Amino acid sequence: MTEKIIEKLTAKFPAALKDHSEFRGDTTLKIDAEQLRDVASFLESDEDAQYNLLVDIYGTDRLNLGQTPRFAVNYELYSIPKNSFIRLIVDVPDPGRNGGTDGSGRFGEPLPKVASVTDIWPTANWLERETYDLMGIEFENHPWMHRIMMPDNWVGHPLRKDYPLGGEPVYFEKDRNNPRFAHLGKQIMAGPSFETELPEEMDTNGHMVLNLGPHHPATHGVLRLATELDGEKVVRVTPELGYLHSGFEKTGENKRYEKFIPYCDRMDYVSPMNNNLAYVMAVEKLMDVDIPEHVQYVRVILAELQRIASHMIWLGTHAMDVGGTPHAAPLYCFMMRERILDIFEMVCGARMTTSYFSVGGLRWPLPGAFMDAVRAFLKEFAGYYHDYHVMLTKNPLWLSRLKGIGILKAEEAIALGITGPLLRAAGVPLDLRKVRPYCVYDQFDFEVPTSTDADSYARYTVRMEELHQSMRIIEQAIDQIKPGPYRTADRKVALPPRQEISTSMESLIHHFKLVTEGYLPPEGQVYSIGENPKGWLGFGLISDGTAKPYRLRVRGPSFVNLQATNTMARGGFISDLITIIGSIDIVLGEVDR
Amino acid sequence: MGVAVGSPQQGALGGTQAHAKDGSAGFALAKLEELVNWGRANSVWPLTFGLACCAIEQISAAASRFDIARFGSEVFRASPRQADLLIVSGRVSNKMAPVIKRIYDQMSDPKWVIAMGDCASCGGPFNNYAIVQGVDKMLPVDVYVPGCPPRPEALFYAIDKLREKIKAEEKLGVRE
Ligand code: SF4
Repeated sequence: MTEKIIEKLTAKFPAALKDHSEFRGDTTLKIDAEQLRDVASFLESDEDAQYNLLVDIYGTDRLNLGQTPRFAVNYELYSIPKNSFIRLIVDVPDPGRNGGTDGSGRFGEPLPKVASVTDIWPTANWLERETYDLMGIEFENHPWMHRIMMPDNWVGHPLRKDYPLGGEPVYFEKDRNNPRFAHLGKQIMAGPSFETELPEEMDTNGHMVLNLGPHHPATHGVLRLATELDGEKVVRVTPELGYLHSGFEKTGENKRYEKFIPYCDRMDYVSPMNNNLAYVMAVEKLMDVDIPEHVQYVRVILAELQRIASHMIWLGTHAMDVGGTPHAAPLYCFMMRERILDIFEMVCGARMTTSYFSVGGLRWPLPGAFMDAVRAFLKEFAGYYHDYHVMLTKNPLWLSRLKGIGILKAEEAIALGITGPLLRAAGVPLDLRKVRPYCVYDQFDFEVPTSTDADSYARYTVRMEELHQSMRIIEQAIDQIKPGPYRTADRKVALPPRQEISTSMESLIHHFKLVTEGYLPPEGQVYSIGENPKGWLGFGLISDGTAKPYRLRVRGPSFVNLQATNTMARGGFISDLITIIGSIDIVLGEVDR
Repeated sequence: MGVAVGSPQQGALGGTQAHAKDGSAGFALAKLEELVNWGRANSVWPLTFGLACCAIEQISAAASRFDIARFGSEVFRASPRQADLLIVSGRVSNKMAPVIKRIYDQMSDPKWVIAMGDCASCGGPFNNYAIVQGVDKMLPVDVYVPGCPPRPEALFYAIDKLREKIKAEEKLGVRE
């Protein structure tokens, strides 16, 4: 299918397409920066292409790769009607002393510039701001080119290769007055952080601006919503992020591939298994590893259990925020989550930060009691699932606070890059497990619940139905699963078994190499997506052939979905804003990364 | 600084058992300091405040299975004015640091801080540009809880330690 598009593209814009390549099933087009916008609108609107979902935008700094120009911007596109992915790479011209810019970069240094695609795909708004903030690439004609993660007064762009990782040297020293500690605490930026600039179109004189957060119980973490109010009505909401920005991408670029697995637990910390799965799938795609079937089944079972656990947190906190059944619902939900955490603890020893999947398989075999524990859980959960319905589905309070609130129509949702239950509640049956099955999802009989109401209640019903479908998948998986090896036999990524090391020289060498060097993937670039409870979690990896990723990109579904807050809350009441935040289901660790 | 004087054998609150069931009000004798500390230690109200992954374990601690109410700390207060305890549950970013400082300043004395998890204690796995290497750079921390995340039981242990600390406070906990 992509050949046809490339043909059409070459015919239409002969100079635009500089190169195209295939790697591990990803198609990459190199586009001339001048013609980016033409190509983008063509790809978005042409009836053979219809790349209507902009998945991700991220910059690359190729300083250490020795390529010129130094910066490039990557666009990951997906076509919902054609079910096809494509990547555009645009080389951003270097800002010469006179060429490219007038030399008025914000910190005295001219920034490379490229045209914004915000009017073609509105979701680009935040993604471009993030690229600007962390990579220092400016997007021309962007509605509000402004830092999004770092404080306003921050100097520099952390993801650039000449920006140090930062942090502090670790000394094991008891004496606090040691002069070596003198620098400690200096890294905190001066000045209160909440005096961040607001967008110019906010009418701060005629209207009241109310700050919700960053410390507010209903924002589900450290999120600040600058809300412009006309009486009780919301005129505009500007989410301010970055209060939990932890530098995941930069950290990942300074660690070996396998050492990033524990970090993904801490991104969307209510669904670590799903994060692990998406990440190991990305590395496996890069390394082209075959995974045994047994492992695939185990991954599906654990990922679906995690989906249930994640939805439990959503349901509990949502019900608590909205106040349908104060305090009862969250306790019921947390009870079932605890059962799942018990299973996880049995599997990997940790309740939350699991890190159980490793590249090439599982970290160790499943414990013997696993299947029975899952069966017992399913039985118990079925009863509780019924209780949740009884508590909420027809509860008049719940209905009146959710029905018709926070409408997000399908076209708007696609334009804003929304994925996951939010998109399905708007009537688009896009579920990666169905349209591009990974692991062994094609072996199971399950449905993709959708709704056409597109309001908060629709999101509630869709997620509730997803719980049911997850139960079905797990049931089928534990019936079908067969015993087998728990990791691949490919010695390039998986450690050899213990007894082999003491008998075979070759195994010993593999073991030594893996432990001291890590695995060395081939040079290349991949992008891999997992269907997380909250939407698409994407990992972009650029390898330069060493054991550390040259560029590691994380697309958090919560981050992109949160951008819809303004669209949903505009014109509604301030109290409905709480419902809307709850129904988006965000996790700030993933929003800010 | 004893104000009411109990008999030497009885100690704090010693007099109550003798009059347990006879319907009279009975009497209690204690040093004011001990009485106040006893009250404070058994009703430490934490602030409804969470930062990252550890906050989820903090919520689990408050939910039915672990039930923080057993330790008198189930009343999570959303306003810093009404809270005694700031549980810093998660990583503190540079952008959040001034906000936390302000929240702490807004809490009325006496107040205590638990650094929950590795991140709040020392930066944890995030030794990088974005994260403050331990909340003790800005606030006085009373109890550190190791773990990533610490289990709810670990948080309870910390609260228990904090109670010991509160019970031993002198001069009604006034800090210079
Ligand atoms: S200590 Fe671990 S679990 Fe807690 S906030 Fe830090 S990374 Fe998350």
